[in-house]
Amino acid sequence: MAIARNIVDIAVAAATGANASRIVRVNVLAGQLRGIMPAQLIFCFGLMAENTIASGAHLNLEITPLIGRCRQCQEDFPVKDYSYVCPLCQGEDIEMVGGTELRVRDIEAE
Amino acid sequence: MKINVMTDILEANDRIAAVNREVFERHRNLVLNLMSSPGAGKTTLLERTAQALRDRLRLGVIVGDIETTRDTDRLEKYGLPAVQLTTGSACHLDANMISYALPHIDLGAIDVLVIENVGNLVCPAEFKVGEDLKIMILSVPEGDEKPLKYPLMFRESSLLLINKIDLLKYTNFDLDEAKANARKINPDLEIIDISCVTGEGIPQWTAWLTECYQRKFGADSRA
Repeated sequence: MAIARNIVDIAVAAATGANASRIVRVNVLAGQLRGIMPAQLIFCFGLMAENTIASGAHLNLEITPLIGRCRQCQEDFPVKDYSYVCPLCQGEDIEMVGGTELRVRDIEAE
Repeated sequence: MKINVMTDILEANDRIAAVNREVFERHRNLVLNLMSSPGAGKTTLLERTAQALRDRLRLGVIVGDIETTRDTDRLEKYGLPAVQLTTGSACHLDANMISYALPHIDLGAIDVLVIENVGNLVCPAEFKVGEDLKIMILSVPEGDEKPLKYPLMFRESSLLLINKIDLLKYTNFDLDEAKANARKINPDLEIIDISCVTGEGIPQWTAWLTECYQRKFGADSRA
């Protein structure tokens, strides 16, 4: 619910800043690790958007996969089954470069 | 028209968390965000910790529960300054709730502030409250597969306390399996086995806590 309210706030602020009067679509990047339940978030977003310029807007969720980067060989690879091991050099010093984000990417407004 | 945004959805929370953090720094508080499922032993751990740390580190607690002040009633018996936040329906504490609790606790009179989050393995991991470290408890009756089911919290935590190990003999909980699962999610996770009933592991836990405090404020600080 708090996440849905923040999405509405961010979208409304962005639209207002661009002198738009109605939000049609909100595109959100949600990392796999954040454990977002799309159906639930879309439902909460609909409730929170009521009586705002985001009312009736479509919330599009793009679930981004977990991507690790090996600090040893710089290879980027999808992390499957939470196995943080580089498939190329078997390095175990892995930095997460995808799958942890939770942000409003852009909005479509008129 | 398309408008680029790229704003972090929890940015508003993170900003308040940063302000809380400044307040904690000013009072020289080490702040821990303690998370677990309901009934894993958060409050009992704090009772034990208060007894064990007496005269070494001064502990204070902010407790989040959906209803009742039972936890603060329990903690105050041990002389712990405790502030109760009843969240109503919210399943986690966020930075804003903590900022409202701060005027009710004398931060200058404590060294370590533990923020006892609402019992829940999901949402508390999402919201920073201004803590130095996130720590969590997994208790034996919950099962050894929990790290794989709730990866974010295990990933975000610095320390995992496996509690109720006195019950190991009555369950099919596999301690090695639990640790392997947790380290698969978070290879840097430190793990201590404890029992708040027998006291096993409590000295290791308070040593860890003391070391964190000294690492932050220098070895010549309290404790």
